[in-house]
Amino acid sequence: MKKIILSLLLLVTLNATEHIVDQKNKTFLPGTMKVKVGDTITFKNSDPFSHNAYTDDEANEFDVGMQATGTETHMKVKKEGEFHIECAIHPNMLIKVKAEK
Amino acid sequence: MLKNFTLIILLLSSVLLASEDVSKWLRPQTIPQPEDNKLTKERIELGKLLFFDVRLSRDDSLSCATCHHPKRGWTDLKPVDKAVGFEGRTGPRNSPTLLNTAYQNRQFWDGRVKTLEAQALGPIEAEVEMNMPIEKLIPKLRNIQGYVKLFSVAYPNEKITKETLAKAIASFERTIVSGETPFDKYIKGDVNAISKDAKEGFELFKTKAHCMDCHDGFNFTDGSFHNIGLNAGELKGDKLGRYNVKKRAAWYGVMKTPTLRDATKSYPYFHDGSVKTLKEATNQCANGGRHKNVKNMSTSMKDRKLTEEELSKITIFTKTLTSPDMKLEIPTKFPQ
Repeated sequence: MKKIILSLLLLVTLNATEHIVDQKNKTFLPGTMKVKVGDTITFKNSDPFSHNAYTDDEANEFDVGMQATGTETHMKVKKEGEFHIECAIHPNMLIKVKAEK
Repeated sequence: MLKNFTLIILLLSSVLLASEDVSKWLRPQTIPQPEDNKLTKERIELGKLLFFDVRLSRDDSLSCATCHHPKRGWTDLKPVDKAVGFEGRTGPRNSPTLLNTAYQNRQFWDGRVKTLEAQALGPIEAEVEMNMPIEKLIPKLRNIQGYVKLFSVAYPNEKITKETLAKAIASFERTIVSGETPFDKYIKGDVNAISKDAKEGFELFKTKAHCMDCHDGFNFTDGSFHNIGLNAGELKGDKLGRYNVKKRAAWYGVMKTPTLRDATKSYPYFHDGSVKTLKEATNQCANGGRHKNVKNMSTSMKDRKLTEEELSKITIFTKTLTSPDMKLEIPTKFPQ
């Protein structure tokens, strides 16, 4: 039983995808995403000033805080649904995310 | 010799301008408007009357225009550091300009609402501003037959409600957009529209001084929120800014970046009205802030080592963002 659970966990981990989002010129690139539960979204700040990424979606709530130039932060997609990710510093920055099982 | 040098500068700036993508600095030709409150002549006119009507305040002494007057760049008619409202009560912040708010997706200094419709009733109800409860204002307006008629034309099949009141005021506010400035003429190709010092100031603005980190785009704000170090130590109350909306670490002590358009008319500066001149405001932003290393300080707030001459040139440039006063007939007669 333990082996089966471990195998399943391994399978889920192997199937998880990392999606890269660039924070550049005060824009999230890409601006729309289709992801799966278990995937990781990585935010890379390519601008010469700080950014942020957060969502108020209850099931996927996260907030990376102040993200300095040249750094990466990560968000794990926990639940399916459609939600927005925004930058708390630059409210014109927005990603529309569709998360599926 | 001096004449030749000036000529070279002018030629260089026209070459640079021709090779640069200037689209982000151009004033938009249209005003964004929500689907459920499209701009019409009737709505704008009704909103204007409401905006200037003192009967919207508790004691019939204050209108929206008291703190957002066209003669002062849509800020306080008196150049006070903090807004003065009902019975002389002082508000916590400097009155922000209403210029180009149609293009912003967060309203108020702390961005607590998204739309002009959501913003419009806040100052009417605020105890330190017009102090007029909406549940008292709506019957008051319904008893003014002139307004009943104007609302029925502007919003057919709807009554005077807090929703239609907010929509009408927002419709007028949406039309408060900046006119053509010397800078606008320059960016469209008239290289003689601004001085050599102003051109150099614009280059400094975009490069060494990093003003463009936040004062970006045609409206000279990207709508971003920053703590620029006006206060040292642990912040409390209204000084917490957007952090009062939600306790996000990135929102500690932050306020919205104001437009620089018509800034010459809207002194004093910053959300606390603590600075009287554009040059000093520029100095504080470009020298790393009034207080250094404060909690959640914007990473754009660094000492850019600007000389006195460079500061002056940026100020001269900022003055080229001044537009002629909007053509507007301020109402003197109101619906009865």
